[in-house]
Amino acid sequence: MAANNSVNISFTVNGERFNNINVPSRQHLADYLRSQGFTGTHLGCEQGACGACTIEMDGKAVRSCLVLASQANGTNLKTVEGFDDEMMEKVKQNFLKHNAFQCGFCSPGMLMTTKEILLNKKKLTRDEIRSEISGNYCRCTGYQSIVDAIEECINEIN
Amino acid sequence: MKAADFSYHEAVNLQDAINIKAQDDEAVILAGGQSLLPALNMRLSSPTCLIDISKISGLNEIKIEEHTLFIGALATHSDVMSNKTVKDNMPYMIDILKMVAHPAIRNKGTHGGSIAYGDPAAELPALAVATNAEIIVSGQNGDRSINAKDFYLGLFETTINQDEIVVGIKYPLLKQGQNIVFDEVCRRHGDYAMAGLIANVMGSKNDIKDLKLVFFATGDKPDVADKTAELYLDNGYDYDKLKNSLSSEIDFAGDLNSSSEMKLHLATVLIKKVLSKLEI
Amino acid sequence: MDDIKVNQNPKLGSLDRPNSYIGRSLPRENAKKHLDGGGQFVDDLTLPRMVHVAFLRSPFAHAEIKSINTNDAKKSDGVIDIFTAKEIDEVCKPWIGTLGHLGEMRSPEQTPLAKKIARWQGEPVAVVIADSRAQAEDALELIEVDWVEKEAQVNMETALDSNAVIIHPELGNNLFWTRTVNQGDVEKAFKEADAIVETTLDFARHTGVTLESRGIVADWNKAENKMTIYHNGQAPHMMQHIIAKHLDLNEGLVRIVSRDVGGSFGIKVHVYPDEMAVTAISKKIGRPVKFIADRLESFTTDIHARCHKISGKLGVDKNGKILAMEIDDLSGIGPFSMYPRTSAIETNQVLNLSGAPYVIPNYKAVGTVVFQNKTPMCQYRAVGHPIAVAITEALIDKAAYKINMDIDKIRKINFIPDNAYPNKCPSGVPLEDLSHEASMDKLLEIMDIKEIEAQKEEDLKKGVLTGHGVISMCEVTNPSPLFYGVGGAHISSQDGASIRLEGSGAIHLSSSITEQGQGTEAIMKQIAADQLGVEMESVRVTLGDTDATPYGGGTWASRGAGIGGEAVLKAARKLKDNILNIAAAIMQTDKDTLDIEDNNVIRKNGGEGISLKKLAETVYYRGHELPKGTNAELLATASFLIEGIPFVFTNSAMGCQVSIDQDTGIIKINKFWAVEDCGTQINPKLVEEQIRGGVIQGIGGALFEECVYDDQGNMQNATMADYLVPMAYEMPDIIVDHVTTNSGRSIIGAKGAGEAGTGGAPAVIMNAINNALKQVNAEVVSQPITPEKILKALGKI
Repeated sequence: MAANNSVNISFTVNGERFNNINVPSRQHLADYLRSQGFTGTHLGCEQGACGACTIEMDGKAVRSCLVLASQANGTNLKTVEGFDDEMMEKVKQNFLKHNAFQCGFCSPGMLMTTKEILLNKKKLTRDEIRSEISGNYCRCTGYQSIVDAIEECINEIN
Repeated sequence: MKAADFSYHEAVNLQDAINIKAQDDEAVILAGGQSLLPALNMRLSSPTCLIDISKISGLNEIKIEEHTLFIGALATHSDVMSNKTVKDNMPYMIDILKMVAHPAIRNKGTHGGSIAYGDPAAELPALAVATNAEIIVSGQNGDRSINAKDFYLGLFETTINQDEIVVGIKYPLLKQGQNIVFDEVCRRHGDYAMAGLIANVMGSKNDIKDLKLVFFATGDKPDVADKTAELYLDNGYDYDKLKNSLSSEIDFAGDLNSSSEMKLHLATVLIKKVLSKLEI
Repeated sequence: MDDIKVNQNPKLGSLDRPNSYIGRSLPRENAKKHLDGGGQFVDDLTLPRMVHVAFLRSPFAHAEIKSINTNDAKKSDGVIDIFTAKEIDEVCKPWIGTLGHLGEMRSPEQTPLAKKIARWQGEPVAVVIADSRAQAEDALELIEVDWVEKEAQVNMETALDSNAVIIHPELGNNLFWTRTVNQGDVEKAFKEADAIVETTLDFARHTGVTLESRGIVADWNKAENKMTIYHNGQAPHMMQHIIAKHLDLNEGLVRIVSRDVGGSFGIKVHVYPDEMAVTAISKKIGRPVKFIADRLESFTTDIHARCHKISGKLGVDKNGKILAMEIDDLSGIGPFSMYPRTSAIETNQVLNLSGAPYVIPNYKAVGTVVFQNKTPMCQYRAVGHPIAVAITEALIDKAAYKINMDIDKIRKINFIPDNAYPNKCPSGVPLEDLSHEASMDKLLEIMDIKEIEAQKEEDLKKGVLTGHGVISMCEVTNPSPLFYGVGGAHISSQDGASIRLEGSGAIHLSSSITEQGQGTEAIMKQIAADQLGVEMESVRVTLGDTDATPYGGGTWASRGAGIGGEAVLKAARKLKDNILNIAAAIMQTDKDTLDIEDNNVIRKNGGEGISLKKLAETVYYRGHELPKGTNAELLATASFLIEGIPFVFTNSAMGCQVSIDQDTGIIKINKFWAVEDCGTQINPKLVEEQIRGGVIQGIGGALFEECVYDDQGNMQNATMADYLVPMAYEMPDIIVDHVTTNSGRSIIGAKGAGEAGTGGAPAVIMNAINNALKQVNAEVVSQPITPEKILKALGKI
């Protein structure tokens, strides 16, 4: 069989530069990021249904299993390892306070979804929060504690 | 699972993409990738080559053009939802898009991709048919405009040719007294529906002058139910009669979450639910 | 410090003191790493020279494997080797999933890869070893298998028919196991009953869907004859034993490391053929081998659960007193009984637990477990509980309706009174320290039934069917050796803790209990710090490594807090005793005048004390300063197991209110309440989160989740888009409250809390739905209760 196709691309991850790197054409972004040690990005289904791999691409939440690494050419990416600004530290404190995670596998995606909710600066009801996170699967908590944590974040910001 | 190997080509412009597509039967267009990537990852699809059109500039434009709202193929669902022109001229579009999957998918999934993919359970193809939209495609012989009702042939099957790419959709602006109302029934929020209905209505709740009913997640493509609409205009909401009519007009195809019988029932009650949303 | 929750256990000392951490809802500071992306899950691990595998799995539910040709596949890019059963069997001995203490079980030998016959869709048949998972999958497409598809035995209800396909011809039929319980004389009692009610309930197969799929990295080190396994399991020492036994290794040289585990719920406590194959491959090729199940593999090879059809009959007198109960349960477990716990336990628990909260003098239960060509079925969260509780509580509601009695009243008059323990289940299983009466009272208090009844009438006027239900249940937790060990399984029912004061003054604790997100590490820290008298921050914890922790059972069957926690408590008390003895020698005073607070040995009557740091420095670095003969051990260990009874039961009462859209069949859970009595709550917030998470899994089973099979035994919905797990939007907020009856089996008094939600929610939801449907004379008896089933019950379709 012929050698696998690859593509030469550049992007940044949490400000770190990846210049002229070679990625297999078929590799999705989550696999590439994980191979580079950004293992906070988790894979739960590889079809966009669980939300565990959600990261930030040019300021927006995307499923990194539904983006090819090659498509990230020229973009700025942020993974959970780079969620260290003041707002996200507050979010993490609220997640901790409400025990808004158990095993932690969904947390990176859940935090990214929370980040996008907060950046939209809308006051949301609990039902609306549930709607916003309804693409992120959590088997452990039953979601209530996550809604509690996000609600507190929204109240702090607004 | 991991995708099978393919080559990846980032198209520099529309012509570039059209040329490659014309040359390679098995090449597939990659726009937002939110339907394609799951299929690749699960090896349900193994194209030889992906043509990434997402970096082509100018294909995500949203503008008013001759009494229509034009949405460029590469506009993401999120782009459309936050666009002021859409909000001012086609506000119902935003509410329909809220039913499409989840925020992170909408950030990447494109308007043109959803239209071109032709998933019978998706909202946008049904909306295009219900609003009498024109789908603009570009190919080796230039552009052509296809009415949405002629665009969808069957299960994931459209009239688009191998060398053609959807570049935009033109939605006629609503006339005075015209309303788009819709609803869907899902097991879970954001899932594909068990059945959905988009109604294009001329008139008010108690005085409907013209009615077009387009169902989704019912058959193999957006299902137009003109006879049933007529029956409604003549008789109002009569569950049994409407159900009979739908049953003869649409070839309901059951899926994992709802049998064809269930879909027929839901389609019938959706007529009541959806039209009750009209203002008096 | 967080709010103090009232702790009613006098054995644990005053709450009004420094470092009293037991009973407080402290945040899990140790778990913050997950919010920084710093978890260490199996798939995060990369070892030098590590290779990846992909399994060729049977596409058929039942098929003969005539031949396997791997010639082309072996030439595929990146492929290192391809093995079939022949090569793996050279290294790994087969196993049999039977135990000896529950009567005759019949299950044949199972090997990591299927040999001549594949017996479920997804059973591993061959394995490609390659440089990457993608390349391994490329090669899978090039393997040629000459399959001869056989007729599959899919339906459990026909598995024992004379014309059934016999899955294991050597067994003669498809029966795996059967058990009958007969207490009293049900036939006589039914004759005396004023009212008899009957029902038959169906429970579909569903599965665990842990967000992190199963994963293993096996690393054979030939130079040391040592096998190191990184595994996201729940019972490291059990795996150590099993891998040593089947790969013929020195058990002491098998090391199991289970770092972070992305949810388990019982799914990850079993021995899986593919994981055994991975271990064998590493032994064969001498390189680290990684296998991470993809989601399709999870759905078709993780154990499934439930798959029961149960008939029940209940007889009451005119006052509502239960005279007799009879159940007959049928369950299908796939083609093999799982190893080493067997697939008999779910049915066994159905028989044990049905009717458990109530005085039922005459009880008969029959359980039949059969083979079928589907994914193997085994123990998942709340083993057997949903079936036992649903049948019991459905019958009780029916009886109440029949004799026109309130649903709470009929329960109250039949409860085993709170002051009548120790007592027994109708099945004869011993019970103690339970509080059904107090828990139901508390539930009714927080639910406000009157308001709910009023709303029901209001809603009916609007055409909405609203209903509610209440249930009581017993929850199996803290198992003793009578659960598995007595039957011959090498699964420890004892757990150990080791605790030491280090030279820096820090406390190090290790426990055989593992962490899968429940908060094991946090509660172990709380217990140790509380009992020692030190700040939480000074305790660090090691879990999940057979080379570094005491021997023990691990985390399953809600045993972490009650068994592992007690071991930590005992070890901490021992260490404290040692520290005070040393301090007394140093300070030349009587030990009884000393105590430890905030990391310092203090004089109770005032005066200068000594810090633990200084004390440790003296012991470790200047031991010569200690009086001769001082026992200067700053390391203490302790073990604990439950003795004398099979389990320490917890009890729970739950209520919910649902509304049904008559047009669409969509069910909305408006409110959900749960009252749990798990004895001492070491961290009440974590207990509540166990209840909530459990309830949501129960709602999943009740309303959404089902492994859908076609007639040929093909799973139809093995993706996360098609298999419906509970997502946030449809789920209710859950109000949790507590009653506290400490377990008398331990000092700590804690019982488990992980099963109740999943065990009770399906019953209370079904009862509430049927309470709503009763207004239009409809009923549902099959879970998951889908909109389509509702519409069928309503006669709409």
